Amino acid sequence: MKNKNSKIFWIMIIPTFIPVILLTYIPILKGFIIAFQNYNLFNLSNVHFIGFKNFRAVFSDTNFNFLRILLNTFLWVAISLFFQFVLGFGLALLLKKPFKGRGIYSGLVFYPWALSGFAIGLVWSWMFNGQFGMINDILKRVGLIHQNIGFLSDPKYALISVMITNIWYGIPFFAIMLLAALQSVPIELYEAAEIDGAGYLRKLFNITIPYIKPTIINTTLLRAIWIMNFPEIIYAMTSGGPANSTNILATQMINKIYNFYDYGQGSAIGLVIMAILLTYAIIYLKVTSLKELEL
Amino acid sequence: MKKLVIVLVSIFLLVSVVSFSAKVTLNFIEVLTSPGRTALLKKIISDFEALHPNIRINLISPPYEQADQKATLMLNTNQPLDIVEVRDYTVKQFVNNKKLLNLESYLASWPGSKTLLPIAWQAARTVNNTAYMVPQEFYIKALFYRTDVLKKLGVNYVPKTMTELFELCKEITDPSKNQYGFSFRGKAWEFKFSDLISTSFLDDIDINNIYKKTDGKPYFNDPRAIQGLKLYIRFFKETAPKDAINWGFNEQVNAFVSGTAPFLIQDPDTVGLVDKMLGRDKYMVAPIPVGPSGKAYLDYGFAGLSIPSYSKHKKEAWEFIKYISSPSVNAYFCKNYGPLPVHSVTYKTNPYFSTGVYTAWAYMMEHPEKYVFAKYLLSSPKWPGWPQIHQADMQSLLLGKVSIEKVVNKWAKYWQ
Repeated sequence: MKNKNSKIFWIMIIPTFIPVILLTYIPILKGFIIAFQNYNLFNLSNVHFIGFKNFRAVFSDTNFNFLRILLNTFLWVAISLFFQFVLGFGLALLLKKPFKGRGIYSGLVFYPWALSGFAIGLVWSWMFNGQFGMINDILKRVGLIHQNIGFLSDPKYALISVMITNIWYGIPFFAIMLLAALQSVPIELYEAAEIDGAGYLRKLFNITIPYIKPTIINTTLLRAIWIMNFPEIIYAMTSGGPANSTNILATQMINKIYNFYDYGQGSAIGLVIMAILLTYAIIYLKVTSLKELEL
Repeated sequence: MKKLVIVLVSIFLLVSVVSFSAKVTLNFIEVLTSPGRTALLKKIISDFEALHPNIRINLISPPYEQADQKATLMLNTNQPLDIVEVRDYTVKQFVNNKKLLNLESYLASWPGSKTLLPIAWQAARTVNNTAYMVPQEFYIKALFYRTDVLKKLGVNYVPKTMTELFELCKEITDPSKNQYGFSFRGKAWEFKFSDLISTSFLDDIDINNIYKKTDGKPYFNDPRAIQGLKLYIRFFKETAPKDAINWGFNEQVNAFVSGTAPFLIQDPDTVGLVDKMLGRDKYMVAPIPVGPSGKAYLDYGFAGLSIPSYSKHKKEAWEFIKYISSPSVNAYFCKNYGPLPVHSVTYKTNPYFSTGVYTAWAYMMEHPEKYVFAKYLLSSPKWPGWPQIHQADMQSLLLGKVSIEKVVNKWAKYWQ
């Protein structure tokens, strides 16, 4: 009986199993193989295995300093994630309280999340434009600056500018997710805390945050992965420039594939991204679940 | 039973109607997509279809930014394609992967090939000296200038040399009034602009490889070329806004149209765009200023049509290519889109291409002692990554992060 059941179980699972293998695992495997091959679209008749040469080429690329790209990637993920989370959380707290027109207001606030990253990049690149840009114009009218700032052309500002765009884009995600979680916190807990004389901050840190902690952990984990794999904004705004100052792993991967036609090196970068994210996810989940036990 | 008969009869009728009118459908992918150009191609296609009722053409127009990639992927995976637009940058790669048909015999039997310009033949035979495409359009740079802005600034001459251009641009630059001189290019194929200025300081460039001198050595670290590169940097520092380091085509044209920078070096397809945004009474086009050597080395960009080697409708595809490449249709296409036509007869018989803004290009083509056409090494495996390498280096150079000597030696080594 048990045997028969498990047979049915396997038959039932096949329809989902096959697409997953065909559409997810085989491409991953193919990408893995290409990373160790000389695979250049410029000449596909000369594809062969070359060991770790692609990785070595990526790490020691004199045109695109790999350490700089790693540092950019780290800053891009960490700073964007931090501000997206803090501002998104703040927004969710504000939207939790009912007020007139809240539905429309939150609809407007969540709107950026529905836009394509590439379109956002194009719009913001004109806003940040050092010549005709609206941001320069506003800053000048307010009297904060006297000469236009080349937000996207000066390496000092370029990374910050693309990060601001990314933060603007990601706030609604946290606001939506955290607002949903906040609405599930039982009101009785706050009432009990108020009777005990707890203030706003006390309630926030001792009731709200612990209660929605699983959501916080999941969303920040997911978001970090997405931000790391999110080259559209940078690609549309600076395409990694000026002089490599906004190049991250994801844009460099596209660069290798689209501009150099070098799928081998592109896949090697892809594997590096995968390794970093895997390590990050394992450590992150270990650390956060350990804390859970301590509580 | 009655119902069944009716159904069967109607199915039979439907099938026979379809098979009687069996049309050949050709899939045609364009890569230099822009709304106006797509509409123009559609017009030409419908004219062609009216003449050939048994051929239908399905035009695929991917967005410009992804178009080359899309064409590459479609070809490499043998997707149904019968006509493919090929560019100077992609032709070698397609031929390497054996995706294009050898068109020599087709060209030999086509009367229209007699009037193709010599550079059109050169372009057609870019790879292995074999024609794999029929060029449709040429891009050669020229100097656009704003007549109205210059008049207001009290300028009454057009610079004839690079140094004159620089001096004039510097003179009219006044950042406090947001007035600059030169519509600088800092990113995305900026080497086409810096090379133009640098090479004009030399007179011994190898026309088959613009990056080498006739003695076989790279030109980059020649003292004269360094002088030229220094002038390019001065154009950035003294006649353009700081932001120009991040300027691509759109920003360049924007600066020109807004009057911020009244001098722009661009290709003829910009004519249509500037006409629309500005009107032809506000600007003119002059030949490229020559350098201290008395010469300017111009590269020519081109695009053309090919037939994929695996196409099932090669004959019909060639019918269309023959039609669109004929002198009259080609002239119509170029007139409405902007680039230079490929037939010599067009320049002689069509006044549009021998007067007005086009006189600049006609002049350059008629003065080979001053204007020398030189080629980029598009078939080199070093070519595909070059724009990115050059851009990163050039931006570092403009920002003063690295010395000229270091950069030119690196480029020289790369192209050795």
